[in-house]
Amino acid sequence: MSQSIRKEILIPQPREQVWQAITTRAALAEWMYPNDFEARVGHRFTFQVPPNPKVGFEGLMVRCEVLECQPPTRLAFSWSVGGPVVNTRVSFRLETEGKGTRLHFEHSGFDLSQPHSEQAIHGARFGWAKMLEQLQVLVTGPGTDLD
Amino acid sequence: MVMTSSRKPDVFAAISHRGRRQMLDLLNQDESSVSVIAAHFDMCRPAVSQHLRVLRDAGLVTERRYGRERRYRLVPEQLSPVRDWLAPYERFWDDHLQRLQNHLSRGGKK
Repeated sequence: MSQSIRKEILIPQPREQVWQAITTRAALAEWMYPNDFEARVGHRFTFQVPPNPKVGFEGLMVRCEVLECQPPTRLAFSWSVGGPVVNTRVSFRLETEGKGTRLHFEHSGFDLSQPHSEQAIHGARFGWAKMLEQLQVLVTGPGTDLD
Repeated sequence: MVMTSSRKPDVFAAISHRGRRQMLDLLNQDESSVSVIAAHFDMCRPAVSQHLRVLRDAGLVTERRYGRERRYRLVPEQLSPVRDWLAPYERFWDDHLQRLQNHLSRGGKK
């Protein structure tokens, strides 16, 4: 159902290279955030989303734990930030396709079951929208090289 | 018994139950009667009907009578608050997966 986010992309690089990019600290730091990742089930790590005073963003820590790690095909980790986004699951599945790789991405497990009033939901929604809007600025701001 | 709430029926509350989400998945495929839906679940028919009522009250399904039978149909537009709620995250991952691809196209080096 619509409670998860799914993406499927075809990447021209071979699977081993994509696997490196999603399982090494330096690579993750480049396309995600600074982290202390290790490719080992049970390893707990964080992504440190840096503050950006220009947009009034105070920074954020995402707490994660490696749930699945089967080189070079499957990686999954938990993703906790707070509120309804606790113990959500982020997963990557890599399939060789021709000379490239098909990446199946999913972020699932958003908890909409917490007993919350409508206000709380709208509050959370606003909070998230605001935070992510700021992240958007960080991501697309000067210094990055989106094609 | 069903709790009657003074609050406005809420889509989020309606889909907070795993069984109800599965019912929506079923109805996403086709209009169904209670008995067809109940056949997929390990719960009694009245319980299934009760869950369907919650979905109906939230506007997620519509109910129609065919003789003695009631059939339910999904109203997918009603799920838009959930999609809206997830939209920022959707954009977040679009950006990051784009960054991943940029990283790879540079040969994995800065």
